[in-house]
Amino acid sequence: MSVLTLERVSKRFDQVVAVDDLSFSVEQGTVFGFLGGNGAGKTTSLRMMLDIIRPSSGRIEVLGRAPGRENAAEIGFLPEERGLYRQMTALDTIAYFGRLKGMTTADAKREGAALLERFGLSANMKQTVDKLSKGMAQKVQLATALVNRPRLLILDEPFSGLDPVNQGLLEEEIRRMSRTGATVVFSTHVMQHAERLCDKLLLLARGRKKFEGTLEEARAELPARLTVVAKQDPVKIAGVESAADCGEAEPGWRRWDVRLAQGIAPGDVLERCVAERFPLRRFEQVHASLHDVFVHIVGSPETVQ
Amino acid sequence: MTNILIVAAREFRQIASMRSFWLTLLIMPLSVALGGFAPKLISSDEPSRVMVIDRSGGGEARAIRQRFELDEQRGALADLSRYVQRHGLERANPAALWSQHDRWYSDADVARFVAQGGVDAAKAEIARVKPEDTPEFEASEPDYEFVPVPARLASVPDAALDDALKPVLKPEDKAVQPVDYVLLIPADFGHSPLVRLWANRRPSQQFVSAVQDVLTRDLRTRFLTDQGVAPAAAENASAIAPALAISTPPPGGGAREAMLVRSILPLAASYLLMISLMLSGSWMLQGTVEERSNKLLETVLACVSPQELMYGKLLGTAGVGLFMIAVWIGCALVAGYATHGAIADMIRPALDPLTSPGTILTLIYFFVVGYVAIAVILLAIGAMSDSMRDAQGYLMPVLLAILLPITLLMQAVLAGNSNGVLLEVLTWVPIWTPFAVLARLGMGIPTWEVIGTAILLAAFTAAELVLLGRLFRASLLAQGQRPNLREVVARMRATA
Repeated sequence: MSVLTLERVSKRFDQVVAVDDLSFSVEQGTVFGFLGGNGAGKTTSLRMMLDIIRPSSGRIEVLGRAPGRENAAEIGFLPEERGLYRQMTALDTIAYFGRLKGMTTADAKREGAALLERFGLSANMKQTVDKLSKGMAQKVQLATALVNRPRLLILDEPFSGLDPVNQGLLEEEIRRMSRTGATVVFSTHVMQHAERLCDKLLLLARGRKKFEGTLEEARAELPARLTVVAKQDPVKIAGVESAADCGEAEPGWRRWDVRLAQGIAPGDVLERCVAERFPLRRFEQVHASLHDVFVHIVGSPETVQ
Repeated sequence: MTNILIVAAREFRQIASMRSFWLTLLIMPLSVALGGFAPKLISSDEPSRVMVIDRSGGGEARAIRQRFELDEQRGALADLSRYVQRHGLERANPAALWSQHDRWYSDADVARFVAQGGVDAAKAEIARVKPEDTPEFEASEPDYEFVPVPARLASVPDAALDDALKPVLKPEDKAVQPVDYVLLIPADFGHSPLVRLWANRRPSQQFVSAVQDVLTRDLRTRFLTDQGVAPAAAENASAIAPALAISTPPPGGGAREAMLVRSILPLAASYLLMISLMLSGSWMLQGTVEERSNKLLETVLACVSPQELMYGKLLGTAGVGLFMIAVWIGCALVAGYATHGAIADMIRPALDPLTSPGTILTLIYFFVVGYVAIAVILLAIGAMSDSMRDAQGYLMPVLLAILLPITLLMQAVLAGNSNGVLLEVLTWVPIWTPFAVLARLGMGIPTWEVIGTAILLAAFTAAELVLLGRLFRASLLAQGQRPNLREVVARMRATA
């Protein structure tokens, strides 16, 4: 069941096209990564899903409805630029956002207290935000997004600015949400987080979709690579596109960085090596990182961390 | 609607949690209360000591003394009248002078009052009807005390009095009471009008006027006698004074003083509208700037629409303003009806307009709509500003444009020019309409003008809410430099 659908959505700001003819859908229970460099259109897309801004053209459906505040009760949102009311207590802040999402004061306070307890802040509930450390404030911000137990959690660059402890906490929360059947959509330009968390990915560049699929499908976009220890240059094996000599591995044997032709599987090359009695000491597939995939697809490494 | 109320409640709580809010709330009634005591604190409880050296025969000193005693009795009669009015004791003697309020007591009135036994006789009459819990009338102390001329000064020539009076006016011995005024009536007074007055401080205008009045009357009598007029006729001629009866047409309904008293509440409403707007408006501005600078807006806008946010902020801030006004009016009511004294005497008639439903409706309408009309401007400024420093750039010209004409308006109303051209113009310019109508309400403003300006103000405020609402929405997430006028207009025209 689709929780989020965008059909040919575009957004222009004067002469600038921020999002260009974007279409995709997100299934329930998925952790969906929205990847792209700076200015790729991630934040604009997320804002359109939340009705903070309206698309110039195209159609958006969120939880089976048009975007709007009536969806707020089922959505959790953590923006890239985060802040809190400095003079409000941690618990009141969470309860306030709970109320804005349609909860009763009692429910919002109860849920807020439970979240703060889970995040190790039960002693800080009555403290005003300006008295909390930055890490504590980050946890409170996350709690404001989770207070209504959302069906759809939208996170815009959620890991940016977080300390390592809170990064781990957030990853755990994303996994926990996913286990409960909630859908998580998050944008990031840090590929490691996406690699660890996402069931499905969408790569954006200059407002346009460049790729949509699973991590494996993303990796398949790149030709397979092997590390081979052989006596001879493996480039003569059918299916091998190139082989770079990386030096001697042991006396008489050299290490080769092998790139296969597009569509050739490592197993096919191994079979040919055996059939042709090509001497091998080591034959190991190298998994491409999401970073490599991103650079390969988007082709602008300067915008990628 | 629920979100608007939630936002409004948060705004209200945030402002109410500020120390500056409570300080402001308390400063107004405290300053009014202290203002009531100020004259007592400033003025000395001791009566001014007066010495009259009359070398013309003693008649002038006697006349001056009698005149001051008469004025003391006039003051006592006026105090007694206010006491009787405050406690509703007229039934003790409805025909008595002290049962006739808000009037000037002539010399003949005062003489009659004294002849009937003065304060003591009046208190005896009042005691027959006075409830037990009503406090006793306390006559105020006399302002002047006449002291005898010491024997050592009697023989001092006029020219040597400057030195001789120094120890009298400023005695070195702190235990000796100084004399505040020494008046010399020379032996040739009548042939020469010259009279000398020594004072140990700047003489009060009231004292000088009273002395001048008595001596002028005597000089005129002497002149007429010299011209052959019989002494009794000359004295009567000198005492002739007009009996000025003052009346003004409705709706002022009486003397200008009475109109001014009735204007106190509308004028105060106008003034309080200005004060509460300045205070709560700046708090609201701070709140909006905080949301922008703290990067809070995106989180908030995911839950509430820009319109809900704007209306919630307006409602919350208007609530703060109205709460402040309610507290101040509550204090005024307590001061007016639970206390006695000068403040109560001023406040009670000032609250008279509250007995008219039309006036109450007009006050509330222009106060609330006026509040919204100006608060929405401050809100739009807040939405365009990343910091309070940024906001000041917009705020100063806007506030000056709003407030400067209002000070002129207040002065015009206080001077009694309720129908001047300036007031008419300000009444019909919507941004100043609430202040002008409120200020003119007590002095009399035609009903058609109230209705006309009310409709115009409503239309203006509605247009403001649409246009500034668009500016607010478009500015909330806008980043970069402060928008110029062209961009501001473009944002007002943007419908989505």
